Amino acid sequence: MDADAQLVGRCLGGEQRAWDELVERYSRYVYAIVSQGYRLRGPDAEDAFQDVFLRVYDRLGSLRDPEALRPWIGQLTRRVCLDRLASSSREEPTELQPEDVEATLEELDEAFAVREALGELPEECREVLDRFFCRDESYRTIGEELGIPSGTIASRISRCLGRLRQRFE
Amino acid sequence: MSSSRRGAGYAAAQAAADAARLVATVARETTGWDGAAGVAAQAAALAERLDALAEADAEAFAAALAALDARSRDLPMRMQHAADVPLEIARTAADAAEVARLAAERCDGVLRADAVGAAALASGAALAAAQLVRANLLVAPDDPRAAEAARAAEDAQYAAARALDAGS
Repeated sequence: MDADAQLVGRCLGGEQRAWDELVERYSRYVYAIVSQGYRLRGPDAEDAFQDVFLRVYDRLGSLRDPEALRPWIGQLTRRVCLDRLASSSREEPTELQPEDVEATLEELDEAFAVREALGELPEECREVLDRFFCRDESYRTIGEELGIPSGTIASRISRCLGRLRQRFE
Repeated sequence: MSSSRRGAGYAAAQAAADAARLVATVARETTGWDGAAGVAAQAAALAERLDALAEADAEAFAAALAALDARSRDLPMRMQHAADVPLEIARTAADAAEVARLAAERCDGVLRADAVGAAALASGAALAAAQLVRANLLVAPDDPRAAEAARAAEDAQYAAARALDAGS
């Protein structure tokens, strides 16, 4: 059983801490869809964010495949955002292009999938991948910081990327 | 001098970016090497970084030339500030030489010459960038960035020498 399925089971079992974990795990994802995908701002974004997690709380029992928690939350978030945009566009027309929204949501989904997969890798892999790809550190800096010969860093990153790729196959 | 003229920092970054792209291609076209995809991904990331550094260097160079033309009093400060970009180019070019070394040692034989050439190009770029750091820091000889850039150039040279060994 994957981590999301376990989390869903614990939530449905009435464990309060599991709900906190669910919100913590998905708050960035939901907020990214709300703010980057649908460009909601200020009170609109906050209301949408609250509304999504209220719906998750009310409807989690209807989720058929607990391993599909992320796409399910993503879909709920889209609906909430569209409802909010529909009500606000009566007052102020929206300039959002559906294809732009789709492209942004695809990128967000991919980014979060990679983030989740990274979280499942051993610490040593997370560390080198983060330092090289996110912080743009050089092999020499990574080697010095981690106490590893710099001539082995590129191979180590390759191995870690291989393990990351396996998570998607 | 024209403020639109691009200097050696831009050329070094572009040369190292081309070298990194060459490594990515060699890695993608190599068969039977487990780490090939990972090396291709790193080389592609380095190429992107070097493209951005080339543009950053062109801007810094233009600003330094403008200060020189205007006989600006803060020219020494601008020169010191301008050392940051070539230092980053030297470090990143050294990494490009390192992935090229790895590719030269593991790639298919028919592609080895490209990997070795990429290592030599990246090493030359690191050396050029390190020289620029030194030139920009002439007024501040104790600045540690000059030594750091020189170390990056040495790393790149070492990687290129090993790549050449693999190709001989």
